[in-house]
Amino acid sequence: MIALEFPEINSILRWKDLFPTFNKIALIAVLAAVISITIFMLALRQDHRQAPKGIRNLAEVIVEFIEDGVVMQTMGKEGLPWTPFLMTMFLFIYLCNVPGIIPFFQMPATARMAVPLFLALMVWVIYNVVGIKHQGVLGYFKSTLFPPGVPKALYILVTPIEFISAIIVRPFSLAVRLFANMMAGHILLVTFALLSEALFQAKDKILIPVGILPFFMLIFLTSFEVLVAFLQAYIFAMLTAVYIGGAAHPEH
Amino acid sequence: MPTVIVTQSSGHVVQVRLVAGVTTETTSAKAAVKAAPNPIAPETKEIAWAAGSFIVLLVVMRYFLFPKLKKGMDDRYASVRSDSEGADRVRADANADVAEYEKALAAVRAEAAGRVDAARQTVDNERNAQLAQVNGRIAAARADADQKNAAAREAAQGDVASAVATVASRVAEIALGKAPDASVVSAAVASAMEGSRS
Repeated sequence: MIALEFPEINSILRWKDLFPTFNKIALIAVLAAVISITIFMLALRQDHRQAPKGIRNLAEVIVEFIEDGVVMQTMGKEGLPWTPFLMTMFLFIYLCNVPGIIPFFQMPATARMAVPLFLALMVWVIYNVVGIKHQGVLGYFKSTLFPPGVPKALYILVTPIEFISAIIVRPFSLAVRLFANMMAGHILLVTFALLSEALFQAKDKILIPVGILPFFMLIFLTSFEVLVAFLQAYIFAMLTAVYIGGAAHPEH
Repeated sequence: MPTVIVTQSSGHVVQVRLVAGVTTETTSAKAAVKAAPNPIAPETKEIAWAAGSFIVLLVVMRYFLFPKLKKGMDDRYASVRSDSEGADRVRADANADVAEYEKALAAVRAEAAGRVDAARQTVDNERNAQLAQVNGRIAAARADADQKNAAAREAAQGDVASAVATVASRVAEIALGKAPDASVVSAAVASAMEGSRS
């Protein structure tokens, strides 16, 4: 029999304060900001006239990735002023996701609802403000709640759906998508790590070789989390750009 | 209300206990569940730290780091574009120079060919003129020689006719005893020479 005790869920998601009000999630968030700033400051120390290499190359690749892969794809040239915001968001989310597979951290900050919720609410505020600024209050809500090309009779059905999806559910889905993906990944890693440990230390010797199976699964999921960390940051930035672009230019 | 508690340990020992009241334990378990925070609920301190970190990062990125990096990138792209355009200009200039050189070369070649043709024409003309001059001289010399030949032949014929007339007159004088008429002899000799020539 395996002496496997899965820890209580709070013990793998909530962290004790390192000092008052400052826990591991806060540490990861602060480190994400510090690492981003450090990368760009080191990049700026290099001569910009030379061909970029090393850390400057990394910084320029990030800028071009956001410009070409996010802004130009969703907002076009008019969206280029949003590049620093979207790049900051992408970097911050990515650097909050990645600690989930870094030893000693082993916790993505985005697996706590606080980080995705703050970001999603901020995006919600921004795209609504942008929409109102570009179209006026009436124009924005008209284009959002009464999509053109729909028969008028259908507005009875469409308008409440649009209101719920665009105004209420959108920030919630944005936050939950990131949070749930990262938390699920974190719980899966914990599960397979505990199962591997339990099987490798089982008293029944026949179970020890079986431990290789969850261990391989643990390695696979760790690699998979590398992809998920990038993908979730990209999706969040991409959806933010889509929402802002849609609010600014509903005809697109 | 009686409650059954079933306990299973690792050694396959199963314990079943029937207890009369577990009110205290149940209450404390419920209290523990109630006290445990919702694992999904966001914590204010985490929101505050995340928001603070993000806003600081956004401000630094938006107003300091990104514009500087982007300006550096744009300057380099502009420099590369300018260098590329400069290279294109130099290439176009070089192509124009090559075209001009080839044009000049073609003109020089055409001029050289013209000069060669003109020289050949001049040489031909001079050769023809000299040839004509030499032919004229040859023709004059030949005419002069013909004339001299004719005069010499005339003189030789006169000398032969005179000698023949003298011999014929002597032979007739010896045979007839008297000298024949000189004019008759001369006419007869002339007639005989004319007949032998034809």
